[in-house]
Amino acid sequence: MDQPATPPKPGRTVLCIEDEFFISELYARALTKAGYQITVVSDGQKGLEAAQTDKYDIILLDLMVPTITGIEILRALRDSSKTPKLHSKIIITTNLEQRDESRSDIEGQADGYIVKAEITPRELVAILDRIA
Amino acid sequence: MDHLSKVVRTVRWYLILIFLAYDAMVVGLWWILGHVITHRMSDSQILLGLAVVSPFLIVIFAYITAAYVTSPLKAIWQTILHISPTEHNIAPPKPASLRLGRELVASLSAQIYQLANVAETVEGAAKKHNQDLNANFIANNLPLPLVVLNKYDMIMFANATAVKYLNQPLAEIIGKNAFTVMDVAFETPDTLDSWLKQVKTESATATKSWDRVKLNPSQEGQPPRYLDLAAFYNKDNPNNIETMLVLFDHTAEYGKDDQIMSFMALSVHELRTPLTLLRGYIETFQEELAGQLDPEMTDFMFKMNASAQQLAAFVNNILNVARVDGDQLMLELHEENWGEIIRSAANTLALRAKVRGLTLEFSIAPGLPTVGVDRVSIYEVISNLVDNAIKYSQPGKKIRIDTKLTQDGLVETTVQDWGVGIPTSVVPNLFTKFYRNHRNQAQIGGTGLGLYLSKAIVTAHGGNIWVRSKDGEGSTFGFTVLPYSQLTAERKASGNQDVTRGAHGWIKNHSLYRR
Repeated sequence: MDQPATPPKPGRTVLCIEDEFFISELYARALTKAGYQITVVSDGQKGLEAAQTDKYDIILLDLMVPTITGIEILRALRDSSKTPKLHSKIIITTNLEQRDESRSDIEGQADGYIVKAEITPRELVAILDRIA
Repeated sequence: MDHLSKVVRTVRWYLILIFLAYDAMVVGLWWILGHVITHRMSDSQILLGLAVVSPFLIVIFAYITAAYVTSPLKAIWQTILHISPTEHNIAPPKPASLRLGRELVASLSAQIYQLANVAETVEGAAKKHNQDLNANFIANNLPLPLVVLNKYDMIMFANATAVKYLNQPLAEIIGKNAFTVMDVAFETPDTLDSWLKQVKTESATATKSWDRVKLNPSQEGQPPRYLDLAAFYNKDNPNNIETMLVLFDHTAEYGKDDQIMSFMALSVHELRTPLTLLRGYIETFQEELAGQLDPEMTDFMFKMNASAQQLAAFVNNILNVARVDGDQLMLELHEENWGEIIRSAANTLALRAKVRGLTLEFSIAPGLPTVGVDRVSIYEVISNLVDNAIKYSQPGKKIRIDTKLTQDGLVETTVQDWGVGIPTSVVPNLFTKFYRNHRNQAQIGGTGLGLYLSKAIVTAHGGNIWVRSKDGEGSTFGFTVLPYSQLTAERKASGNQDVTRGAHGWIKNHSLYRR
């Protein structure tokens, strides 16, 4: 695993679109301790609107969220007619297997894909630290 | 036969009558001429003698002549009798030995033989046609799918059952290459295709069968059928029947496993969220309470963590088996340092061994070549073998992981334990789905999926997995992986170096954007 040449700048912003409160709480806690500024949104539509402001360096996007799904959010964020080009890196966070159709969308449009059950909060921090 | 003798007899009588009339005429003329010209009566005695003797001579002559003139007829009669189906003891005539009508008989016999031949051919064809109809009827109504291939693997025949199974109109099947028409998936790399290629170069005849072959696995909306497949190869069969394939439908038995698996896969997804949380909280506790807990609580925390890991491994096994069964297990074979993979796996697994009072040791042979493996999947194999060793060992024992380069240039890894061992009788079933060491079923849990999954993963890597065990003395499981240099070009993952993959998923490396 290649480490970044320099540690990431402190105060990087993370948007966590996640409706499972226990998970977002754990992630927020670990990321805050590591120097990130984290915003949690538990609703799909509100999450999309927040993401479209492009105020976030990293977006953690759960696929199963209320109102609109994570895949729809991803497509809207990558659709230039709906969202101007974002500087945010979009990381899918999920525990579900993907159907082929969504899988190809994710592989083409997201910057990363994380199976939540496979990582601990500390490991999440380590992964985000490696993302420029 | 006696029609001919009648003819001969009639001819004979006619001849006798003609000659007698002629004879009477000659004798009469003789008598008149002699009487008128010579006026002598002295010859009357000679004439009387002639008149008495000549009928006898005539009868003998008629006999011979009748036989002679009817001989061609007799020969033709014989010819006909010879070919007749009722009389079988008549020798064929020899036209060459005839004095009269030799050519006529020869040509007529030839005509007769030819006619007979035509008749025989027509009759034979009718019989054969009937046989073909029967064979076709039997083959077509065989309740087993039957497919016949020629030497180019083209489908020459598919019976009605096979057509139903292949789910395409007959016209789309006949004359097409078997491997484009039959959508079959095999559990091992030893497929029908590769077997046929091999036997065609090596054997005159060969037979092989496969279990749990999946038919039409990629067809949308249709559950796959599970079949056993038997193939019979016969080189250069004159009737274009080089390979016969017979299928036996076992969907009812094998498909049940599939339903169980998809139900389990659905269920374990529900376990993933609580599992994520458990692992998150345990980690938070371990980090933030470090140094504040007494040794007993520290030990409990440690056991809690190991248990959560074990649960995560179980969930992964279920999901991976569901992937294997759904042909969704995707491997990316990258060039990796095997020693490093073993070291990192052993470090993780040592925790689980330690919790059960076991020690995990490992050694890495020097000078191993780099291997072509999928890091995540091959870790599952090592993890399953070590978990098994843990499960079947009593506390205080040790478990060893060793590596070596085999004589064939493969990288072999063994996981050895000194636990309860496996009775020889159950060894052949070990790598079967849902199989567990029966003797220990009551005491030791497990799904019987670990070894099945390990075999699928190792096989997909192009390696082999094996076991050596002695009842009561422990077991050694071993598997091989290929050095990266031995991978064929198409098996090497396309060099997308811009993605980092791990058990967690993947992250694109944005080295260009790095600040």
